[in-house]
Amino acid sequence: MRPRETLLVAAREVREAVRSRWFLLSAVSFLVLSLGLSLLGLAGAQRSGLAGFDRTTAGLLNLALLFVPLVTLSLGGLGLAGELEDGSLAVLLAQPLTRGEVYLGKYLGLLGAVGASIFAGFGAAGLVITAVAGGGNAVAFLQLVGLAVLLAAATLALGTLLSAALSSRAKAVGGAFAAWLVIVYGSDLGAIGLAAARSLSPAQVFTLALLNPVEQARVLGTLSLTSRPEVLGVVGVYGQDLLGANGLPLVLIGALLASASIALGLGWMVFRKAAVP
Amino acid sequence: MIDARELTLDLGERRVLDAVSLHLDPGEAVALVGPNGSGKTSVLRCLLGLVPYRGRACIAGHDCMHDPVAARTQVGYLPQRPAFGDATAEEALKFIARLRRIHFSRIPLVLRQVALESHAGQRARTFSWGMQQRLSLAAVLLADPPVLLLDEPTASLDREGQADFLRIAAELRRSGRTLLLASHRAEEIERLADRVLELDQGRLVPEQRVAQVLPFHARRAGG
Repeated sequence: MRPRETLLVAAREVREAVRSRWFLLSAVSFLVLSLGLSLLGLAGAQRSGLAGFDRTTAGLLNLALLFVPLVTLSLGGLGLAGELEDGSLAVLLAQPLTRGEVYLGKYLGLLGAVGASIFAGFGAAGLVITAVAGGGNAVAFLQLVGLAVLLAAATLALGTLLSAALSSRAKAVGGAFAAWLVIVYGSDLGAIGLAAARSLSPAQVFTLALLNPVEQARVLGTLSLTSRPEVLGVVGVYGQDLLGANGLPLVLIGALLASASIALGLGWMVFRKAAVP
Repeated sequence: MIDARELTLDLGERRVLDAVSLHLDPGEAVALVGPNGSGKTSVLRCLLGLVPYRGRACIAGHDCMHDPVAARTQVGYLPQRPAFGDATAEEALKFIARLRRIHFSRIPLVLRQVALESHAGQRARTFSWGMQQRLSLAAVLLADPPVLLLDEPTASLDREGQADFLRIAAELRRSGRTLLLASHRAEEIERLADRVLELDQGRLVPEQRVAQVLPFHARRAGG
């Protein structure tokens, strides 16, 4: 795989993403929600005397856990399937490019566009918080930005896998929405249900959590804000006991990277042999 | 220049191509004809590596499956339904120029050749089919490859566009390009092809000379 050609495809993808209405709507919504949450969080913090950054960062973490998978799954889902349907993928693949360069270039381009949108949204929120409440726990805030990008990498890879496997715009968007429901809501409810019905041990609940990038990001984000066990939940408490306070974040970061790599690898296995009509 | 042996393509349960073999010498122009669904476009897709086929296909000695970049460097492709995403005409051509390391100064020249110079900054998505086909031709002219794969290239052009396209394609043909054309149109075949290969239900029927096959195809296509 040639880096120059991969980056050319990535740059093309950034331009395509920035011009798409769905991406623009998502980026503006993310910016508005980040700013809105920050202002609300700061207003509450001033009344209760809590530090602005921690309280607001917790709100932004929840926003990222909901919003980032929604945007990346749908954008990733539309990526290959959309171009396959409108014929531009065939035109692109008729150029002297390998499928690997097209696949990775499109992924990196979309990740770049989503990353820029995350930086814009959280950056604006960070500026507002700093101006109103001072620097505070800025490290936790920067960790949140990094975490959102990491989560985006994992869920975008999942969206790209769906796009390669379902190869139709409507199916890919439907699949992306279903995947969003499962990883954001379904896995929590499923884990609770399984834990109750099957009397799962904490180790089994922890293992289940390691399969879901949103759960990995949730625990990782919470760890950057607090180490109070009652806030971390079963997964966090068990993970901390098992791996230690320093080991758990590293394992969770590794799990997020592994989620991205596995989904990307599976998508590649589908795409490399796929017929492009 | 193009050598395909025993190309077999299955899409789902359907056999789209059944042991199709063809050979084009450098500078030769061949038309693939046959009814809709006979496999004309699929032969081009195999040569471009867009579909997983059995058999062997080479362009300029490069295996289309195992050395696709080298093979496609030799190829300019005009699809039946061109698409350039959200790019403007100029951006679409700049992408190809960067990819193939061609100087940007050629872009206005090729846009002028296809009469799109005044539309360079417009998004290709907003173009009519005919304009998109002309942009596709500009991309081929920009890359200036030795092999041209043309899939129903004038299907979406008006009469004036067809005449312009045929003039440019005939020039390319005279300048020694190897040309493989999938077409229904008698005029196109007559102007551009030395030989005609007929496909029927994914199989190649015995080769005939253009003069023998054209009246039959002209009647079939209503042309």
